[in-house]
Amino acid sequence: MSTTNTLWPGADLGVSGPFPRAPLSHPLDRRWLHYAFLSRQGGQAIIANLSVLGASTGVVSGEPGAVGCEGEATGGTGPEPQRMAILLVHQEGRGWSSSQFNAEQPSVPWSAFRLPRPRPHGSRGPEDGFRVAGRGGGPEVDLRLRRTSRSCTSQCAPFGDGEHLRWQSEPGILATGTLRWSRAEAGGDDAARHTDLIGYHERVRGRWSWPALGGWVFGFVNDPGGDPTGPPPSAVVFTLIQPTRPSRPVDAANGSVMLWRDGRLVRHFPRRSLRITVQDTLARDQVVLVPPLAQMLGTAPAAAVPRRLLITARMGEDRLVMDFRARTAGRIANPSETSLNPFSVHETLGECEVDARVSGRRTSFSAIGIVEYAGGASGE
Amino acid sequence: MRAVSDPIPLRTGAALLTATVEELSQRAPAIVAAAASQMRGIRLGLGFHDGSRALLSARHSRLVVEHPTDGTEAAGPDVEPDVEVVFDNRAMNLLFDLQHRPADQALPDSLDTRGPREQVLAVWRAFSLLAQRAAGLRSVQELWRSYRDDAPAPWGERADEAESPGPAEPVSGWEGVDYLLRRRPQDATDVEPELVGGTVVTRPRLLWDGRGSSPWWHESPIHDADLLATMAACRARTGEAMEAFVPYREPRAELYDLMRLYPARQGKGLRPTLTIAACAAFGGRPEDAVRAAAALELFHNGFLVHDDIADESTHRRGLPTLHEEHGIGLAVNCGDGLNLLAVDAILSNLDTLGLARTLALIHEAIHMCRESVEGQAMELGWIHKHVVPAEDEAYFTMSTKKTGWYTCISPCRIGAVCAGVTDPALLGRFDEAFRLIGIAFQIQDDILNLVGQEELYGKEPLGDLLEGKRTVMLIHLFRTMAEAERPRMREILRRPRSAKAQQDAEEILAAMRRHGSIDYAVALADRLADEGITRFEEDLAVIPENEGKAILRQIAHYVTTRLL
Repeated sequence: MSTTNTLWPGADLGVSGPFPRAPLSHPLDRRWLHYAFLSRQGGQAIIANLSVLGASTGVVSGEPGAVGCEGEATGGTGPEPQRMAILLVHQEGRGWSSSQFNAEQPSVPWSAFRLPRPRPHGSRGPEDGFRVAGRGGGPEVDLRLRRTSRSCTSQCAPFGDGEHLRWQSEPGILATGTLRWSRAEAGGDDAARHTDLIGYHERVRGRWSWPALGGWVFGFVNDPGGDPTGPPPSAVVFTLIQPTRPSRPVDAANGSVMLWRDGRLVRHFPRRSLRITVQDTLARDQVVLVPPLAQMLGTAPAAAVPRRLLITARMGEDRLVMDFRARTAGRIANPSETSLNPFSVHETLGECEVDARVSGRRTSFSAIGIVEYAGGASGE
Repeated sequence: MRAVSDPIPLRTGAALLTATVEELSQRAPAIVAAAASQMRGIRLGLGFHDGSRALLSARHSRLVVEHPTDGTEAAGPDVEPDVEVVFDNRAMNLLFDLQHRPADQALPDSLDTRGPREQVLAVWRAFSLLAQRAAGLRSVQELWRSYRDDAPAPWGERADEAESPGPAEPVSGWEGVDYLLRRRPQDATDVEPELVGGTVVTRPRLLWDGRGSSPWWHESPIHDADLLATMAACRARTGEAMEAFVPYREPRAELYDLMRLYPARQGKGLRPTLTIAACAAFGGRPEDAVRAAAALELFHNGFLVHDDIADESTHRRGLPTLHEEHGIGLAVNCGDGLNLLAVDAILSNLDTLGLARTLALIHEAIHMCRESVEGQAMELGWIHKHVVPAEDEAYFTMSTKKTGWYTCISPCRIGAVCAGVTDPALLGRFDEAFRLIGIAFQIQDDILNLVGQEELYGKEPLGDLLEGKRTVMLIHLFRTMAEAERPRMREILRRPRSAKAQQDAEEILAAMRRHGSIDYAVALADRLADEGITRFEEDLAVIPENEGKAILRQIAHYVTTRLL
């Protein structure tokens, strides 16, 4: 059963949830599980993306690692969905390093969206483990994750010719564990390091081709202050998708900005109430291209990445300003299944200032944030 | 005239205006030309809050600022202006200093403007053009910051110095563009050592305004029209490529070191910029045109070495000519070697551009060299036979052949070939526009030799007169002077260079001034440049507006706005 948009006949938002038990039924059906963490001191950033593309055959498949559905079903004879996993690590002073797209991933990836509610402080469960490792000497993380905040649907957007995307976000994910580089990358140093991180998790489910999706900009920032075992005092997440074709609906672009306080969502600014502005670009030559294989394949240059991003949102008396300044960027060149141009995801790190007044209460903090610029498959 | 690199004591508003106009004349000449066309016939008097005054007027396509301290000739600020604008502190604060918290508003007497309505509006249009571009140029921002730091006049309270118990509430508005624009100058002073690489300064733009979306990966086709910076970058990149063609082998001291060092005396970078920009204008990759640009420069340098011998020149680009330093034999051989390397550089395109484009490049290079040697033959023939042409057209033909092709026309055509254009009709669209611009450029170069400073021009002062070079000024002089003066002038011209003294050259210069030959040449160069720009817009309308074309346009205007 699909969720039909009555205002736009023919457009739909895909299958009904809950997602873990909803099948992938189309060659362009996708599920992305995204994890991004920053160490509390801001010296390390860890970004992992686990994706599944394409219809499964035979038995209805579940989300990777869905409870009661261990991995993808493989009962059919046709092609199986394509699974990819990539791990990207940034260490201050050492720069970016990355696995290829075939990183080892858990058979049951941790996902907050399968957990009914934030776990009580201090409690642990067997499903908290999260290990993603590059094969053949790439970086590796072995973490234990814990959610502290409530999740939120950032946006549900139909676009293109029957394509759609449903995006759910959750900030305030705590992570502790080990980050390990290959000895070659570590320059002979101690290659493993204990780390204590706070971050973000999202799940995106939908059906899209990269040229139709166009691109997106999303980002988050957690206030690292407060109780290190509890939710961050404040957190902001924003999303913006920028479909380019076809032009129906005309304003298919969709965005949102959300503010959490103490783990609870206190305001969701919908797309009509926000403005997103960029200024200046990072020097193109300084954006590191990953995975390593992309550097060998003569990957075409991508658009310059904006350096500064400013979001202003206002709804009634509630206001929010988020001012982000990228200082470094890694570009992940994803192969596009539908065009010759790679779809590039730029992960940028930088200082972020948030100033908001919601429900009469002022929130103001500065912290390191991550902003992601994705796009470019259409070759425009 | 002030050298651009000199430190500027920017303690007055008038000095700041002068420096800003000078920067814009070099970095955004098309904008200055557009502003000058608005200001044509209007003298604008500006009175600043610090008591300094300036008179701004348009002269041809240039903007000229006169005030008591800069020593420029002509009217000075005592001339009655057509439009007068007087600022006080408050107005200056609002106009210049975006970093500081603006005063509440300009009071009625803060900004006093007087003049006929149409002329005031024309001035306003001119300043809108200038301000829009100036605000986007880093060097101008530096000037203004320097002014803020140096000016003793009291300023408004700085936003970041204001007493505030906590983070300031936004003064007004929540629109991102306004927010960023308000903070631009303050950001420029930020020290961010952790930033990886640099940033490219761009204007703020909305990705999403609540209704419509502009993809983040869409880039403005024109990034930065700072012509000087573009020319410096093209010159440096081409210099690297030229260097790579010179082998490290013996004989070094007598050949290869000379071949390496002589081209390092690079000029303004006009030819490399034209080549690379023309390639980009037709959709090619700038890097694809670098080897061809290097080949052009090597040809050019080879010709210059020989040219200096033929002209008996003593200085080139501020240094002694090669034959003066190492003797004629070595210099001739070095020139031959440079021409050989140029052929090598053209052929090196085989790997990157393929056979068809490389053959087309060879064809273009041969054409360029043939025009050049024909032009040189014409001029040397006139000197040898003691002929001064009666009409300017003869000069135009000689100048186009001798310098127009390799300075302006061929670089554009070669750049287009690098982008894959081989249609003769399409390549020919550069010819007339850049023929006119090339002649104008050459006339200006000749004028600079007479009235410019040696350190800026690079050749010995009045060297053209000592060489007996047939310039437009000389042709005009011989056309207009009285019969009684001719024998003396002819007698000076007949002498070989070694027999001419500096006072002979100064005597000819004085005659030129007396007969208005220099003013005539300035006006002629401006007229030709105007015609060239008109042809540029008409003939090259087939090229879509893009960054490459914008640079070509800036160079076309660069000729008309050069300060003489």
